[in-house]
Amino acid sequence: MKRELIKGSIDSLLLCLIGQQPMYGYQIIKELEDRSQGYFRYKEGTLYPALHRLEKAGLLTAQWNSVTGGRQRRYYHITEKGRAILTERRSQWLDFLTAMNCIIQPVNA
Amino acid sequence: MDLCMELNKYLQSVRENLRLDPKAEKEIILELEAHVEDRCQEMQKTGLSEEEAIERALGLLGSAKTVARQIYETHSQGTWRQALLAGMPHLFFAGLYTLNWLTGIAWVPIMLVFIGVIVAYALLHGKPGWLFPWLGYALLPVVAAGISLLYLPQRWPLVTLLFYIPLVLWLSCFITIKFIRRDWLYSTLMLLPVPTFIGWYLASGQETVFPDLELGFLYRFSPWTGLTFLTLGLSVALFVRMKNRTLRIIAIVISGLASAATITLASNRLGLASFLGLAILLMFFVVAPAFVERRLQRNRNVAIP
Repeated sequence: MKRELIKGSIDSLLLCLIGQQPMYGYQIIKELEDRSQGYFRYKEGTLYPALHRLEKAGLLTAQWNSVTGGRQRRYYHITEKGRAILTERRSQWLDFLTAMNCIIQPVNA
Repeated sequence: MDLCMELNKYLQSVRENLRLDPKAEKEIILELEAHVEDRCQEMQKTGLSEEEAIERALGLLGSAKTVARQIYETHSQGTWRQALLAGMPHLFFAGLYTLNWLTGIAWVPIMLVFIGVIVAYALLHGKPGWLFPWLGYALLPVVAAGISLLYLPQRWPLVTLLFYIPLVLWLSCFITIKFIRRDWLYSTLMLLPVPTFIGWYLASGQETVFPDLELGFLYRFSPWTGLTFLTLGLSVALFVRMKNRTLRIIAIVISGLASAATITLASNRLGLASFLGLAILLMFFVVAPAFVERRLQRNRNVAIP
């Protein structure tokens, strides 16, 4: 179940992270791992198809920028369309969470 | 094994399985390379050797074939508009021979100009996937011109045999191999209508080709001719919309076999042997480009030490 949940939430997670600041692939992997305290650990190769899919759908754009040492990294930026989808997904997620909490109460409650 | 070699081998394997246009491929390879570089750098900070770091970074990225397949599926699926554009030359022929849109030799130059404009536009706009069915039909007027030259008086047939036909064959092979390098399936898309044309020609029982440059024998079996081209058009449109490569191949093979069956049943001349012959020809157009692609890849890998 955990695997399915993680798989199903990749688009929202990517939009949310990139919505906060433009990021490149490896940076996204690190952020996901760090912020979720290791909960979101993706097979790294699956990240790029997801990023490219969102880019193709017009939710993200990408451009090559230099990082320290003059190396080039492909930074992803959220688009207006992506931001609108993110707002919608966030609202759906909060509704879902509220409804789930109403049913699945902690054992001691 | 040399570490750089291991990384290069991985990236080469991704590239071979991506089958996208060279510009997109280059960007994807650079992006993956940067990712491995970052991961290795971080691992080396934790005390791993360079060798261990690269090995682990590639392991975390996953199999090259899987990564390439997933990216291919993301990029290769076309829109409905592209699907319509790809199926259009077949649908155009379906209309031509079912509805008798154009009759007489006058349609030959019209077709030539129309196909030429579309092909030129697509070649100048990044060679999208929908170009390839058009490119196949673009060879039709070239073949027709060669046939008509054969029937001209004096030295023209000799000139045709010695220069024009070898030139056309060379040009066809050059174009086919050029696109096989990108994806052998595009060459199959180009060659897809050939068995259908041959099938209907055999069904008509004609002894000579000239002066039937308007392909009048196709009218004789209308509306079945239209149905075969419609089948090809629909399968090509499906091909563009599908993500999965195996399903794409299946769609092409089924449409070719359905066309061969229609031709055999609609004609009173052809039998099981003709159907099998057409099916074998179709399978040759599916298998041969895949085989050539593999040979080209092997040669390239040998050339890159």
